[in-house]
Amino acid sequence: MKAKRTIITFGDMRVGKDSNRSKRTPTVRKDKTAIIPVDRFPALPGDRPRVETGSAAVADLGAPAAARPSMAEREALDRVDLSVELAPTRGLRLANPIMVASGTFGYGVEYGEVVDVQRIGAICCKGTTLRPRAGNAPPRVTETPGGMLNSIGLQNPGVDAVIEKYGPVWQGWKVPVIVNIAGESIEDYVEVARRLDGVPGVAGIELNISCPNVGKGGLQFAIDRDAARAVTAAVRRATDLPLLVKLSPNVADVRPIAKAIEEAGADAITAINTLSGLAVSPDRTRALLGNTFGGLSGPAIKPVALRIVYEVAQVVSIPIVAIGGITNLGDVLDFFACGAVAVQVGTAIFADPELPVRLGEELAAECVRRGLTSYGPLVGTALPKRAGASSAKGAEYRP
Amino acid sequence: MTMRLVSAELVESRQILPGQWIQSFNAPELAAGSRAGQFVHVRTGDYSGLVLRRPFSINTADPATGIITLHFRTVGRGTEWLTRAREGDRLDMLGPLGRPFEVDPRSRHLLLIAGGLGMAGIRMLADEAVRDGRQVVVLFGAQSAAHVYPSSLLPDEVEYVVATDDGSLGHHGFVTELVTQYEAWADQAFACGPHAMLKRLAALAAGRRERLGVAKLGRKRGGGKQDPLGSTSARRKAFLQVSMEQTMGCAVGACLGCTVIGVDGPQRVCREGPVFAAEEIAWESIA
Ligand SMILES: Cc1cc2nc3c(=O)[nH]c(=O)nc-3n(C[C@H](O)[C@H](O)[C@H](O)COP(=O)(O)OP(=O)(O)OC[C@H]3O[C@@H](n4cnc5c(N)ncnc54)[C@H](O)[C@@H]3O)c2cc1C
Ligand SMILES: Cc1cc2nc3c(=O)[nH]c(=O)nc-3n(C[C@H](O)[C@H](O)[C@H](O)COP(=O)(O)O)c2cc1C
Ligand code: FES
Repeated sequence: MKAKRTIITFGDMRVGKDSNRSKRTPTVRKDKTAIIPVDRFPALPGDRPRVETGSAAVADLGAPAAARPSMAEREALDRVDLSVELAPTRGLRLANPIMVASGTFGYGVEYGEVVDVQRIGAICCKGTTLRPRAGNAPPRVTETPGGMLNSIGLQNPGVDAVIEKYGPVWQGWKVPVIVNIAGESIEDYVEVARRLDGVPGVAGIELNISCPNVGKGGLQFAIDRDAARAVTAAVRRATDLPLLVKLSPNVADVRPIAKAIEEAGADAITAINTLSGLAVSPDRTRALLGNTFGGLSGPAIKPVALRIVYEVAQVVSIPIVAIGGITNLGDVLDFFACGAVAVQVGTAIFADPELPVRLGEELAAECVRRGLTSYGPLVGTALPKRAGASSAKGAEYRP
Repeated sequence: MTMRLVSAELVESRQILPGQWIQSFNAPELAAGSRAGQFVHVRTGDYSGLVLRRPFSINTADPATGIITLHFRTVGRGTEWLTRAREGDRLDMLGPLGRPFEVDPRSRHLLLIAGGLGMAGIRMLADEAVRDGRQVVVLFGAQSAAHVYPSSLLPDEVEYVVATDDGSLGHHGFVTELVTQYEAWADQAFACGPHAMLKRLAALAAGRRERLGVAKLGRKRGGGKQDPLGSTSARRKAFLQVSMEQTMGCAVGACLGCTVIGVDGPQRVCREGPVFAAEEIAWESIA
């Protein structure tokens, strides 16, 4: 491991220096110690047999040929540092910014030998609640044009069982595992966070606030600014774990909510969760999904996710993790351009389980191609250059 | 064998019945490591439109030649896309997935029951059973003679009995109506087909012991501890095992999208299944 590492941080912004610097460009600084020692590229692309995809079989969008790199290429790749810090004050360092999204990668163990999980930036596990949940009636998933609907209903064995079963596994991993949590009341969220606090192998918490607040007549936390603020603040008080809060796209204007979440002490914002949708049964006598409504994900939602990341990036200064329809490196770069410093891959994993790991490799190669040693310069490039003017422009865009 | 991503080369594609195809793939890893009842999750082309893989039972697997076959019906874009694949094309398959049928080593007479495309789910079990020297009867139900699976595609050793809804071939009526004639003969039964058919079979299986007045196969009640529901040993002792279907996302147990309701709560078809002992399923939840 090299003594000097380049990491992307928002430290400068946090202490309020350099205020005339473009807000979303992460500061790239040299740092002596790595918080998480990570062997980048422990295996070379090509070490494992890759699935050859026939002409008609798979459109491997934008994937460069993964030939074994030459010595010089290898050295160039080694100079690229993809690490990113998502919680500057608490420490949530990822070896690379490609994460896997909650609900699409189980607890990190299900894909077994098909995916080398250690090479993923971070894993967000399935939504976890205080008590076990059996989830919704089947069927729970269906494909839609360019996407899918799901209504799993947060099936999970409850936080205690998750800790007992997976904690020891995660502890042995170098990939950080972020536990996605959900609840029906602020007390639920707080209690789950408390139980996760200090558990070895848990690197952080992602709050799924797209849940009905039973105490408040079932109104989702995510669509009510005050509820979003309250739940974030309460969890913040309950734990020192790095705290990510995940935005719902099912709101009229996400910016005040994002702002409230930042003010309430979140370390980072993740966006977006699924869009509310519906499919009809083949005989058209009912809704197709057992739960009637489902959450839309996949390539179909990417433009919505981009718009939201673009908007949020202009009103908060904490790191943004983008999610929504990522299937290739171009998508990742689009989200970086709109101000995200990391991304999560969800639905695309089902078709292409190797995608998250491959995107890490491709991002490094892209940096080499552009003569960069980190991807910092790729962040925020599509955002309006003048601060202030931007928000108004976003507001015009309401259909 | 643990699952893996396999690049399977299409070697033959033929339409065996209207809208029904059997495709052969060169995929030695799958051919050698799969068991009857398991399935593969096949990636379709044009990711921008079709975002999910499609699950298909492994219809046959021949370790000697490295060939597996899939048998499917065209019902939508994914299966239509498959029919357009040409010899030499490589398909991305994730497999083998799911838990296989569990045959009790003492079972000599196996009753296999298939409805329509359910044949693909039990076809490989016929090969395994014949190989292991067991006697096999295949009961098959279809709408009409035009949809009946050709007997030439079954091993010579099996007895093949057909029922059609319209009576154009074999028994006039449902395949489930044939079952009682064989239930005394059969040591175990294995079924794949529409859930309504499986539900009917489960009801028949539940009443079988009383009708026949036979003792339960396996350990006596009360003597020793019972095998936990869903365990391989419990399944091996079950009279009826069924292969269930559900729309799938990941097919590896990660998304919880493919559940059916079991007596012990939701069960993932891709992981706990697709094969279940009939007593594991909460049949009242199935229409
Ligand atoms: C374990 C398992 C084994 C199967 N084995 C076979 C087989 O051997 N032969 C065969 O012909 N069919 C089999 N099926 C069903 C097969 O997966 C669907 O027919 C196929 O996915 C339809 O794809 P499509 O794009 O052509 O149709 P679509 O237009 O996508 O859908 C048509 C119908 O297929 C169903 N379907 C769509 N996607 C899926 C999915 N991902 N999983 C399950 N059902 C889906 C839909 O509910 C719909 O009713 C199996 C399903 C499962 C779960
Ligand atoms: C099957 C499935 C289950 C999901 N479960 C959760 C969950 O438990 N908690 C959560 O915050 N998001 C959940 N999500 C949302 C994803 O994490 C992600 O935000 C969304 O799918 C958009 O990303 P994508 O388009 O890359 O899939 C789920 C998504 C899918 C498809
Ligand atoms: S399809 Fe994802 S859990 Fe079965």
